[in-house]
Amino acid sequence: MRALIWKFLVRDWRGGELSILLMALVLAVSVVVGISGFVSRLQGALLSESARFLAADAVIVSRTEVPEEWIEEAASVGLQVSASLGFPSMAVADIERMALVSVKAVSAGYPLKGNLQWSVDPYGTVQSDGAIPVPGEVWLAPRLFALLEVASGETITVGERPLVIAGAVRGEPDATTAVFGFGPRLLMHVDDIPSTGVVQPGSRVEYRLLLGGSADALEIFLEWLKPKLGQGQRVDSVATSQPRIGDTLDRAQGFLLLAGSLAVVLATAAILLASRRFGERHTQYVAILKSLGAQSYEISRLYGSCLFVIGTVSTLLGCILGWAIQGGFIWALGSLLPATPGPAGWEPVVMGVVTALVCLFFFAWPPLSRLADASPLHVLRAEVDVARMQRVQDLLLGGAAIIGLMWWYSGSLTVTFSVLAGLLLVTVLGVIVGRTLLAGGHSIGGFAGSIWRVALSGLQRRRRSNSLQMVIFGVAIMLMLMLTVVRSSLISQWQAQLPPDVPNHFLLNLAPEEREQLQDFFTQRAVQTERLYPMTRGRIMEVNGAALPRWEEAESETAPRQREANFTWSDVQPAGNELIAGEWWPQDAVEPWVSVEEEFARDIGASLGDQLTVRIGADSFTVTVRNIRRVDWQSMRPNFFMVFPRSVLAAYPGMYMTSFLLTPDRKNLLNDLVRELPTVTIIELDMVIAETRAVVDQVARALELVLAVILLAGALVLVAGVQSSLDGRLKEAALLRALGARRELLLGTLWIEFLVLGGLAGGLAGVGAEAATYALQTRVFDMVWTPTPLMWWLGPVIGAAVIGCLGVWSCRHVVRTPPVVLLREV
Amino acid sequence: MIKVSQLLKTVPTADGDLDILRGINLEIAEGTSAAIVGASGSGKSTLLGLLAGMDVASGGEITLDGHRLSQLDEDQRARLRAEKIGFVFQSFQLLPALTARENVMLPLELSGKKQADDIADRLLEQVGLSDRLDHYPTTLSGGEQQRVAIARAFARQPKILFADEPTGNLDTRTGERVIDLLFQLNASEGTTLVLVTHDDRLARRCDVRFGMDAGELCILNA
Repeated sequence: MRALIWKFLVRDWRGGELSILLMALVLAVSVVVGISGFVSRLQGALLSESARFLAADAVIVSRTEVPEEWIEEAASVGLQVSASLGFPSMAVADIERMALVSVKAVSAGYPLKGNLQWSVDPYGTVQSDGAIPVPGEVWLAPRLFALLEVASGETITVGERPLVIAGAVRGEPDATTAVFGFGPRLLMHVDDIPSTGVVQPGSRVEYRLLLGGSADALEIFLEWLKPKLGQGQRVDSVATSQPRIGDTLDRAQGFLLLAGSLAVVLATAAILLASRRFGERHTQYVAILKSLGAQSYEISRLYGSCLFVIGTVSTLLGCILGWAIQGGFIWALGSLLPATPGPAGWEPVVMGVVTALVCLFFFAWPPLSRLADASPLHVLRAEVDVARMQRVQDLLLGGAAIIGLMWWYSGSLTVTFSVLAGLLLVTVLGVIVGRTLLAGGHSIGGFAGSIWRVALSGLQRRRRSNSLQMVIFGVAIMLMLMLTVVRSSLISQWQAQLPPDVPNHFLLNLAPEEREQLQDFFTQRAVQTERLYPMTRGRIMEVNGAALPRWEEAESETAPRQREANFTWSDVQPAGNELIAGEWWPQDAVEPWVSVEEEFARDIGASLGDQLTVRIGADSFTVTVRNIRRVDWQSMRPNFFMVFPRSVLAAYPGMYMTSFLLTPDRKNLLNDLVRELPTVTIIELDMVIAETRAVVDQVARALELVLAVILLAGALVLVAGVQSSLDGRLKEAALLRALGARRELLLGTLWIEFLVLGGLAGGLAGVGAEAATYALQTRVFDMVWTPTPLMWWLGPVIGAAVIGCLGVWSCRHVVRTPPVVLLREV
Repeated sequence: MIKVSQLLKTVPTADGDLDILRGINLEIAEGTSAAIVGASGSGKSTLLGLLAGMDVASGGEITLDGHRLSQLDEDQRARLRAEKIGFVFQSFQLLPALTARENVMLPLELSGKKQADDIADRLLEQVGLSDRLDHYPTTLSGGEQQRVAIARAFARQPKILFADEPTGNLDTRTGERVIDLLFQLNASEGTTLVLVTHDDRLARRCDVRFGMDAGELCILNA
C-alpha cells in the first residue's frame, strides 16, 4: 500500500491534480505565516517606537526619591535602570538676564529607548551620539540662548551652582511625557543636583526611574513593585502617559490583528475551493479504482496518506515561503518602516501550521473522505449522484474552527464576531441570490439573445457551484473592501485630530488689561490664534443642596466628590463641544445657568437640571445645570469643565487664556512675548504634536503596507476561485465549439457568466463589508460609523471587472484551441 | 458461474417508483460467453452493474462463482471484483494522469502483485500496443484506448469479464479488431464473458444471447 501511495502521489502530481491543492495549501500557509510574521515584526517595531516616548519601556514616577531597594531589585531581575528628576527653576546668567526653566537632570544610560539629540550651538548640526551633559555642564533649549543672551562656553547658575553651557537640546525622546513646569528645557547631570541646593524636602520635584528590558523581566518587577507604590507614586506606560499615541497604537494594533485574521479567512477560502475541485476531479478516479476492486478503507487510506504528505510538504513550503515573504517585505520596505523591526518569533510559524491543520482537517479532508463512498456505478453511468462534496456539518465545524483561529489570532471576540457578521450576511444573501436569481436566469435568458440565453442557462445549470463561488468571491471582495474602508477612516480620523493648523502653544495667566497688548503683538507678527477665554478658578461644593465630600474623604474612587476647576463664560457654545443633554442658552442670558462637561458631571454626581453650589474665592452661589457637553480633550483648543453665561461670572476677577500656532522657525517670538508680557505662562506643545504626528504618519504607512499584502492574498483567492470552476466551463465550451459555436458567442457567454457572477459577488461584498465595518468601527475602533455608499457600487464594479477579466483570461485557450484537442483534454 | 433469480431493480423518480428490472432470471455457465442485447433504456447496463456487484438490487438474488451478492457489503463486493472480475467500459475509463502501462498496472498494484510492470508490458504487447507503453490516454486513439482497457481488464486474470458496449465508441473496423482481441483473450484465459451490446454481429459471436426489453429478459438462443 505504501508503495502504491507514493506511486499515486507521483502520478497525480504529474497529472497536475495534486498541484492545485498543494498550491492552495502553500498559499494559505504562506499568507498566514507571511502576514502574521510581518504584522508581528511591525507590532514589535511600533512597540519599541512607543517605548521611545517614555525613553524607556516603563517609568516609575514619584514625588519623593525612588528607594534604593527598588533600583537594586530592578537590576537584579535584569532590567536596565536610569534615574532622572525634573523641576521648574530659574536659570540665571546675571541679575538682568534670568528665565524660568524646566530643569531635567539625567544619569548615565539616559535615554534607555530612543535618542537624545543635541548640538554644540543652538541651531547647529544635530548629533545623536548617546552623550548626555557631563557633571558641571548644561545643555539648553535653543530658545534659552536668545532669552538669556548667552552662548556655548559661557556660564549660567542654577540655584547655587554655576554650570558651563556645553550644548543645545534639540530633541528628547520623552519630551512629551517628562514635562516639568512650563519653561524651556535645561538639561544637566543628576550628580550636580545636590550642589545646586534647590532640591529640598517639600520641593516640587518629579523623580523618574526609567526601566528597560524584556517584557517578562518588566512584568516580574512591576508585580513586585505594585504593593509598594505609595501616594504620589505611579508607573507610566505609553498608554497612560500619552493617551493619544497609546490610542493610535492600540487602533493600529487592532487593525493589524484584524488583517491577520482576514488572512486566515482568505486562506481557508482558497483551500475550500481547491479541495472541492480536487474531490470533484477524483470522483471518477475513485469510481474506476472501486470498479477495479479497491475497497473503501483502501481509498480512505490512499487519500488520507496523500493529504498527509501534501499537508506536510505544503506546510513546510508555506512556512519557508511565508518567512521569505515577510523577510522580503521588511527588506523591500525597510526605509518606509516606522522603526527597526523586531524579531517575529515562532508564533507566525505555529499559526501557519495550525491554520494548515485546521484547513486540512475541516475543509480538505471531508470531501476526500467522502470519495470512499463514491459509487463504482459512476463508471457506467456518469449521471449517478456522487456523495455531496461538502456537507453542511463539515462547513459548520470548519466555520467553528475558523472562528477559533480568528479569535486566537486577533485576541478579540468583538473583532471576530464583527467580521463573522459580515461573512454570514454574505453567505446567507449568496445562498438566496443563488437560489433565486441564478435559478431564474434560464427564464430571463429565454427572452434574451442567444449569447445571453447560453450564458444565463449556464449560470442556472451550475447554480450550486456558482452559489459557492459567488459566496467565496463575495467574501474575498468583502474582506478587501472592509479593510480598505477601516484603514481609510482610521487614517482620516487621525489626520482630522491633528490638522496642520492645530494650535501648538497655550498661553495662560493673561491679565484682562493685557488683552489688547497681546492681540496687537500677535496681529503685528501675523500669528494665528484662538479667541481669548476668561478663566476663573472655583470649586463645586454641593449638588442639590447635598454637600460633596472632599477629594480625600470620598468613599471610593468613583464616588461623587468636590472638584476644583477653571471656569469660563461664553455666550456661544464652544467650538468642537457637543451637547449631549439640554440646550445652550440664548445670547446675553442672565439666568444662573451652567454647562458641565460630561465626565466632570459624573465625578460630582450631577445631571441635567440639578442645582450646583459653586464657590469662587469667598463667595458661594447656586446655578442650574442647563446642559451637558462632550469635549474632545485632544483638540488642542482651550477646553473647560464648567461654562457659565457671561453675566454669572462677570463679577469675579479672572485671567485669560488662549492657544496659538507657532512654526519651529518662529520659536524665538516666544522670547519677545515673555519680555513684553512677563507674567504670562506659555505651555509649549509643539514637540508633543510633532512627535504624535510623526507616529500617526508612520503607523498609517504600516497600515497601507498590510492592506497591500491582504489585497494581494485576496486577489490570489479570486484566481483560485476562477480556476476551481474551469473544468465544467471548459467542457461545455469545448462542446459548444464542436457544435459550431462562433468565437464571439463563446467569448460573449464567458464574459456574461463571469461578469454576472462577479457583479453579484461584489454586491454581496458591499453589503457584508458595510455590516462588518459598522460593527468594527463602533465596537472595535471606537469610531463614529458613517455609511460608505461608495462600497455599494464599487463592490459590484470591482467584482464584475476583476472576476470578468480573470475568468475570461483563464478560459482564453478555449476559443483558440481546436475543438477536437479540447474535447480530448476535458 | 453466474446465476440470477427474480432480480428486481426499482428507482424512485418524481412520478413514483420506476421498475428498471422486473424479475430477471438467467444462468451463465463457466467459460462461456453471453451477450445481452436490447434497445437503449431497456435496462442492460443496470443489469450489468448489478451482476458486477457495483450496484445493489431491490430484490432477487445474484450468485457469482458461489457468492451470493445480496449477502455482501460494498467492500466485500469490491474484494470479489478485485479477485474474480474484470471490466471493459464503453467510454474506456482510463485514468488520464496515468500512462498506458500504469493504467494496466493499476489493478495489479491494488492487489499487491509483484512484477506488475512486466505483466502490463506483456499484456500491452498482446493487444499490439508495445510501442505505446508510455503514452497517456489523451494521445491514444479510441481503439488504442479500448485495447489498453482490455489489457487492464485481463491483468488480474479474472474469472468473469464484463464488457459494457465495448465497441460503442469505435468505428466498425476498429470495433471488430477490438472484439477479435476480446474473444481471443477470453479463449486463451478461459474467462466467462458477459457483454452488453446492441451490435447484433457482436452478439452473434457469443455462446448465449439474451434479449432485454422494458426490464424483462428472454433467451434469444441457447
